[in-house]
Amino acid sequence: MNLYDIIFYLFAAVTLVSATFVVFTKNVIYAAYNLLLTLFGIAGLYILLGADFIGIVQLIIYVGGILILLLFGVMLTNKITDVQIKTGVLQVIPASVAVGMLAGILILIMTNMSWRDFGLSTPDKTIGGLGTLLMNEYIIIFELLGMLLLIALIGAANIARK
Amino acid sequence: MKQYISNIYSALITVFIGMKITFKHLFTPAVTIQYPDVRVALPGRVRNRLYVNMDDCIGCDQCARACPVSCIAIETVKSLPGEDLGKTSNGKKKALWVTKFDIDIAKCCYCQLCVFPCPTECIYMTDVYEFSEFEREKLVYSFTTLSKNEAIEKKQNFEKFEAEKAAQKAAPKPPAPETPSTNPQ
Amino acid sequence: MIIFEYLADLFGAIPAAFISGILPIAFVVPYALFAVYWERKVSAHMQDRLGPMRTGWHGYLQTIADILKLIQKEDIVATAVDKPLFNLAPILVFAGSYAAFAAIPFSSAYIGANVDLGMLYIIAVSGLVVAGILMAGWASNNKYSLIGAVRSAAQIVSYEIPTVIVILTLFSIVGTLNLYELSEIQSSNIFNWMIFGGNVIGWKKIVLIPLMFAAFIIIYLTTLAEVNRTPFDIPEAESELVAGYHTEYSGMKFAMFFLAEYANMFAVSAIVATLFLGGYHSPFGYLGNLLGISWLVPVEQFFWFTFKGLGFVTVQMWLRWTLPRLRVDQLMTVCWKYLIPLSFVIFLLVSLLMVL
Ligand code: SF4
Ligand code: SF4
Repeated sequence: MNLYDIIFYLFAAVTLVSATFVVFTKNVIYAAYNLLLTLFGIAGLYILLGADFIGIVQLIIYVGGILILLLFGVMLTNKITDVQIKTGVLQVIPASVAVGMLAGILILIMTNMSWRDFGLSTPDKTIGGLGTLLMNEYIIIFELLGMLLLIALIGAANIARK
Repeated sequence: MKQYISNIYSALITVFIGMKITFKHLFTPAVTIQYPDVRVALPGRVRNRLYVNMDDCIGCDQCARACPVSCIAIETVKSLPGEDLGKTSNGKKKALWVTKFDIDIAKCCYCQLCVFPCPTECIYMTDVYEFSEFEREKLVYSFTTLSKNEAIEKKQNFEKFEAEKAAQKAAPKPPAPETPSTNPQ
Repeated sequence: MIIFEYLADLFGAIPAAFISGILPIAFVVPYALFAVYWERKVSAHMQDRLGPMRTGWHGYLQTIADILKLIQKEDIVATAVDKPLFNLAPILVFAGSYAAFAAIPFSSAYIGANVDLGMLYIIAVSGLVVAGILMAGWASNNKYSLIGAVRSAAQIVSYEIPTVIVILTLFSIVGTLNLYELSEIQSSNIFNWMIFGGNVIGWKKIVLIPLMFAAFIIIYLTTLAEVNRTPFDIPEAESELVAGYHTEYSGMKFAMFFLAEYANMFAVSAIVATLFLGGYHSPFGYLGNLLGISWLVPVEQFFWFTFKGLGFVTVQMWLRWTLPRLRVDQLMTVCWKYLIPLSFVIFLLVSLLMVL
């Protein structure tokens, strides 16, 4: 077991443990902070795999943006309206069916995929290639995503104005 | 648009003007007085800690009566006919032993009302203003010059004298000690 | 880098990595002690006072005395707080601001981690600070703390946008996100500093200079807002919110927040210096090169780096004691109506210029 393995297991453990907490804790704030840890662990795994750009963007967008927004909303509503925000368990059967199907698909992919082993190599610069790919091969998808976000933004502004 | 640009301009300019002002103040000499090392000169009529010059005190109790917060406690014992207590500096004859003269300076409100009635001008304000203590008892200043034993002795002397006087009622009167006429101011 | 190699020779690669990771602490803590003292002195003299004078010569031991006091203080945890989060928050905030130091090149001999995406990484970990602040505010179970934390988060999240756009502008000129490479680009000449257009040559450089000055002012303002300093200190507004999100903290936990705040101040100053003012490079050339002593150069570079960083920290203090606090709506106006559009305009102009 070399250092990279240890780091991998560390991040994996952080991700798994905090993800379990997210699911099982009754307190929404705790769930949110455990989600932070989960995202952090996943970012670590990405970086360990050499996808440093994805890892960091994961941190920026999910931790710095979405999670903060989430916490923001929960904290404000919780304190202002004095409603104890707790999660409960409902719709057990449909949820377990959906989760089971998803897990089955994931396991299927995991076992049937022909994984390639790149060995241990420190990540090269990735953003250059990534940028070129995004701007050439995947330009349509990229632009469409941009449109989608723009539409979402306009919709949000419209709702907020009412 | 014009408004927008002028807003930006004025925001930047005013910030720089403000910074210039504070920068100038960086080099103006400080107004701080470094208190325990450097002291401000006190004005002429400051009121601070009281002091009683016991050599001049005749025990007339006027200061205690003037005090609005009753922080002066005086006990006196009459002197015996033969005793000579000396004179005050302005020529009054002392006739009372001041066995207790306590000023509870913690209560004192520095109103100076006790100073004016004193006939001999022996209670006055000094310019000492640093007399904090860790225990409140220490703020009760005792000015009497007699020690405890002496005070008790004086008291006993006087009681003995009274008793003797009572015993020889018929005898010619001893000259009773007289309090000197008070002299306000 | 040289330091890391030297340590690696001495102890092997893995312990060396740990040691060089701890090195910034050895800088941050004395720096914070000095900065607190310095802030008091600067503020005092700007108000025609003297500041601390009695602990040591001109009070230079004052902050050490303060730290000793804070260590001895009782660590009060109110009963209504959410204990785990309450205890975790100061650590998270400090970790977030300390993590930024990993990618800052202190001199050509030392950078914690020479990562390719250094600047992006710094932006990413600064998100942890926001999470920590929100955690502190919420866990305190105190309305002032919560309002302070929410304000702080809103402010940091909004001001991150112009910061990132300005950084993007910069990197569209130099084409790298690595702060070490960026510093190396700005070497050898004061006119190679990014504020003078970096290593671009010809007429483009002359056009770039005013744009870069504007970008510099924008990023300075936004970083000021990101570390919650006056005039953008509504999260800690003493006069309305007691102390904002750290109202309930005392003793060492409070000291952690304090340390994090001052560490953050230096981190953003260092980043601004690295981005625009040549990082660790001297404006005049090096004595070490002149005398032929090679080890002197990194030392001088470290000196220049701390000099620039502390210079910007001093300007932050200067602004703090000059300007009154902005109102919340003014704060958001400055960000959304002025800084963001302006930074976009600069970004567009610079990108056009680089494409030409
Ligand atoms: S100064 Fe006023 S309060 Fe103090 S002892 Fe004299 S009369 Fe009493
Ligand atoms: S008024 Fe003067 S003389 Fe009379 S008791 Fe007081 S201090 Fe003594």
